[in-house]
Amino acid sequence: MTKFARLALAGLLAMAAGGIAWADDAQKAKIGVLRLSSSAPVFIAQDKGYFREAGLDIELKFFDAAQPIAVATTSGDVDFGITAFTAGLYNLAGKGTLKVIGGMSREKAGYPLIGYFASNNAYAAGLKTPKDLAGKRIAVTQVGSSFHYSLGLLADKYGFKLADVKVLPLQSLSNAAAALKGETVDAALLPISTARSLVDSGGAKFLGWVGDETPWQLGAVFAAPKTLANHAMVTKLLAALARADREYHDVILASVKGGKAEINDKTKPLLEIIAKYTNLPVEQVVGNCAYIDPDGKLDVKNVDNQIAWLQDQGFVDKGFAADAIIAKEYVKAD
Amino acid sequence: MPSARCSMLERAPQDDRVTEVRPVAFRGAGFVPKAGRASGWTALALVIALWQLAGSAGWVNPLFLPAPSAIAVALYKLAMSGALWQHVSASVVRIGSGWLLGTVAGVIIGFAIGLSTLARGVGITFISALFPIPKIALLPLLILWLGIGEEPKIATIALGVFFSTAISVYSGVDAVPRNLIRMAQSFNVPFHAIVTRVIWPGALPSILAGFRITASVALLLVVSAEMIGAQFGIGAFVLQAGNLMQTDQLLAGVVILSLFGLAVGKAINVLETRLLHWR
Repeated sequence: MTKFARLALAGLLAMAAGGIAWADDAQKAKIGVLRLSSSAPVFIAQDKGYFREAGLDIELKFFDAAQPIAVATTSGDVDFGITAFTAGLYNLAGKGTLKVIGGMSREKAGYPLIGYFASNNAYAAGLKTPKDLAGKRIAVTQVGSSFHYSLGLLADKYGFKLADVKVLPLQSLSNAAAALKGETVDAALLPISTARSLVDSGGAKFLGWVGDETPWQLGAVFAAPKTLANHAMVTKLLAALARADREYHDVILASVKGGKAEINDKTKPLLEIIAKYTNLPVEQVVGNCAYIDPDGKLDVKNVDNQIAWLQDQGFVDKGFAADAIIAKEYVKAD
Repeated sequence: MPSARCSMLERAPQDDRVTEVRPVAFRGAGFVPKAGRASGWTALALVIALWQLAGSAGWVNPLFLPAPSAIAVALYKLAMSGALWQHVSASVVRIGSGWLLGTVAGVIIGFAIGLSTLARGVGITFISALFPIPKIALLPLLILWLGIGEEPKIATIALGVFFSTAISVYSGVDAVPRNLIRMAQSFNVPFHAIVTRVIWPGALPSILAGFRITASVALLLVVSAEMIGAQFGIGAFVLQAGNLMQTDQLLAGVVILSLFGLAVGKAINVLETRLLHWR
C-alpha cells in the first residue's frame, strides 16, 4: 500500500514538474464551462494534460448557467466558452461578438440527457407519451432555452402547434421540479440529473428522452473574434479537444448500453475524471453521458434550424443565419 | 471681510465684559430641504444626455449599455405591439393587491405589537426570525404550497411588504409621545378613542415613511414574483429580456419600473400633504 502511495506521489510530482516546465512557454487561456458531464472532453483534456502537450496553459472557469458563459466570452473574461446553445448566445453572436468554432454535446438516440416528465395526476389522466403533450401546461426553465427549443422540435414532429401548449418559464430547475411535484403543471422538460431523484421518489413519471424523439446539436465551443485572430492558439485548443472527444467517444460512449456507461478497467479512469470535475459519484456519472461527436463536428444544418426557429418565435433578432456566426476556418461541419 | 470677522472672534471674550448689546440675525431656521422643481429634472436630463453621448460616440459597446435612444425605440415598439399594456396591467394588479394585503396585515400586526405586551413578545420574535429570509429562496416552496397561478406571486409581494410595514408601524406607535397618551388616559378617554385620536395621528408620519419603503419593496419583488411562470408582467418581461440578452428591452423594462417608482413616490407625497397638514 505504501509502495503504491509512493509511486502515486512520485507520479504526481513528475506531472507537476512537467506542468511547470511546460508553463514557461505555454500560451495561457481561460475556458468557461459548466460542471456538467456534457463538457466531459474538456475535463479529460485538462486532467490528462492534452492541453499542456499542445502547448497551452488552460485555466477552467466554472459557471452555474449557460448564459453567463456566453456573456463572459463576449466581455473577454474567458477566451473560450463551452456550453449549450441558448437564445441569448445567438443574440450575442448575431451582433458579431461571438463565433462558433466547434461542436460539443448532442441530443442523440440512446444517450439520455433532457427528458419529458409528467406529473402523477396528468399521467393518470392519460399523459403517457411525449406525443400527448399537445395542449398541456408544461414547465421549462426559461423562454428560448434548450428545453423550450426541444419542445418546439417535438411540436413539429407530431404536428401540433406550440401555441396550443402552455409554456411556463419558471426560471430555475428547482422551481420546475417543484411545480411538477406539486401538480401545478402537467409536464416539465428536465435534465436527467434533476429528474432522476424526482422519478425515483415517485414525484413524477418519465415520458421519454429528447434524444430519442428529436436529436439535435445541443452544445458548442465558441470564442470572441479577438481570440479567433490568434490562429495558432485556436488550432491547438481544437486539436487537444478533438483528441479528448475521440477518447471519450471510443472508451465511454462505446460502452453505453441502455443509457448507462459500463464501469470497467478501461472506462473507470475517465469516469473518475468526469466525476471529479462534476462533483458527482461515478455511479451517477455513468447514467448521464452526453453524446459527443468523436471529431468534434458541428451539425451546422441544425444550428441553422435553431436560429430560424428562435427568430420565428421572436426570441432572436432577425437578419442572420448560421453561416454568419460560424468561424468556417475552424468548424468541421457534419 | 474674512479678516474683520476673524478679529471679531478673537476679541469675543473681551466683549463679554463690556456687555455691549448688538443685534443678531435669526439663525435657528433648521434644515428645511424643499423638493426643488428644477434641480432634480436637470440632473436627470444631464445624466441621460451624457449617456446618449457615450452611446452615439461609440465610447461604450451598445450591447453592454444601450443608449437612451435605443431604449426609447424598444419602449415605442413595445407600446405599439400592445404588449406593453398587457405587461403593465398584469403587474399593476399583482403589485396593488400584494401591497394592499401586506399593508393591511402589517398595520394590524404593527399596532398589536405597539399596544400589547403579549403581541409584542411573540410578534417581534417572529418578525426578527422571518424578515431576513430571502423570499426568492422560498420560491420552490411557494410553488408547492400555492401552485403557479396568481396566488404565489401576490403572496411573494405581500410577504415582503408585510414585514417592513409591521416594523415601521410599531416603531411609529412607540414614538408617539407618552405624555399625550397618559393625559388622554387621565381624562378617562376610552381605549378606541386613544388609538384613533392620539396614537394613529401620532404614528402616521412614520407609517407613511414606511409606505414609501414598502411601495418600492413591492416594485422590487414583482421581478421575483413573476419568476413563477408568468407569461405577462413587467417582471416577466425583464427576466425574458435578460435571458435572451436583449439588453435594450431589458433596460426598457427597468425604465418602466422606475416610472412606477416615481408615480408611487408622487402619490405618497400627495397622501403626506393631505394627511399630515397639521405638521
